[in-house]
Amino acid sequence: MSYVHPEYLVDTEWVAAHLDDPDVRIIESDEDPLLYSIGHIPGAVQVDWFSTLQHPVRRDFLTREQFEEVASKIGITNDTTVVFYGDKSNWFACYALWLFQYYGHENVRILNGGRLKWEQEGRPLVKEVPSYPATEYKAKGPDKSIRAFRDEVLQQSNAKKPLVDVRSPKEYSGELISMPNYPQEGAQRGGHIPNAVSIPWAQAVNEADATFKTPEELRALYEGKGITSNEEVIAYCRIGERSSLTWFVLKYLLGYPNVKNYDGSWTEWGNLVDAPIEK
Amino acid sequence: MSLPPNLQEIVDDFASMSREEKLETLIGYAESLPPLPERFKAARDKMEAVPECMTPVFLAAEKGAEGGIHFHLDIPPQSPTVRGLAAILANGLNGSSLEEILSVPGDFFLPMKLDEAVSQQRLHGFTGVLAHMKHAAVKVSSE
Repeated sequence: MSYVHPEYLVDTEWVAAHLDDPDVRIIESDEDPLLYSIGHIPGAVQVDWFSTLQHPVRRDFLTREQFEEVASKIGITNDTTVVFYGDKSNWFACYALWLFQYYGHENVRILNGGRLKWEQEGRPLVKEVPSYPATEYKAKGPDKSIRAFRDEVLQQSNAKKPLVDVRSPKEYSGELISMPNYPQEGAQRGGHIPNAVSIPWAQAVNEADATFKTPEELRALYEGKGITSNEEVIAYCRIGERSSLTWFVLKYLLGYPNVKNYDGSWTEWGNLVDAPIEK
Repeated sequence: MSLPPNLQEIVDDFASMSREEKLETLIGYAESLPPLPERFKAARDKMEAVPECMTPVFLAAEKGAEGGIHFHLDIPPQSPTVRGLAAILANGLNGSSLEEILSVPGDFFLPMKLDEAVSQQRLHGFTGVLAHMKHAAVKVSSE
């Protein structure tokens, strides 16, 4: 058995062979934004989840026009193969990939193993920040078929259709409302969306080298909890970053046709007046 | 209310820096964090596991010969931002009295305008480490 869409993954070897390929742009997206400055894959640009991709005022992503500016600035065209990688098993790399897809960039890849595997193999990291000639990027979308908003999450919950909570078990049970010491991402209430099943995101990756688990392991993991490809699936976590990794796994590695990421996630749901919660 | 002089100096320095200088200086702090002294390693190994999103921050406080409080930290190199923020606090507070440490307001870092470099959200790491330090300082003072 292989992944359903293996073309969405590249390995470190492939990236090493395409460092100078003008049709390829490598993007680092990390949980810790200083990592890029300390050293990155030669030629890689940084796209930071907070400072690059968020709307400067509202709780939302960049508008399509703002996204076009970002894409033009990093010198990609609509045909460029964009490879994402990052720390923490590619959480934020998957998040950035998801947003690029939201605005219609089709040619995207994840570097399997991310920053960790690249480092483990002793491959080069440089401090030099590259610059590329600006382009006139034209975005499409937004593609709302991959993004869930609260009303449809409520419908999904009421209809007992597949919802995957990918947070840690203590967040799912409601024992932890927010990360200790991280009040800004907290919520007023703890627990989970009724009928959501708990499948922590980390079960989809190998801790040792941050690569994805095998197709067999992934299938057993999700199907074993009743998350199958015949229905639309919505994944969520706390702010939507861990669940974009799960979204990537379900959509591309297992080939589920309808998967959405609920980026409002627990920081919206747990603060929403009148929203049903299960503990 | 005034900050301990070393911390005030760091805050003032950052306030006058460009975005690039802030990034470089923060990385410098992250890299300058000394390794955890041997005598704390057993305590670190007993540290409770933290939820997955969080950077594990081990922190110990002890009273120095001069009576001031000193902090020792262990934070993984994969988390340079938290290392940098914690190193700033340790540099700014080491040798201070319990009262001085407790009087540092949770938003002391706002004039540094570090959000230009690492974004607002991540700066809450400062609040977290500071709260952790205050707690440890109270504990070591009552021993």
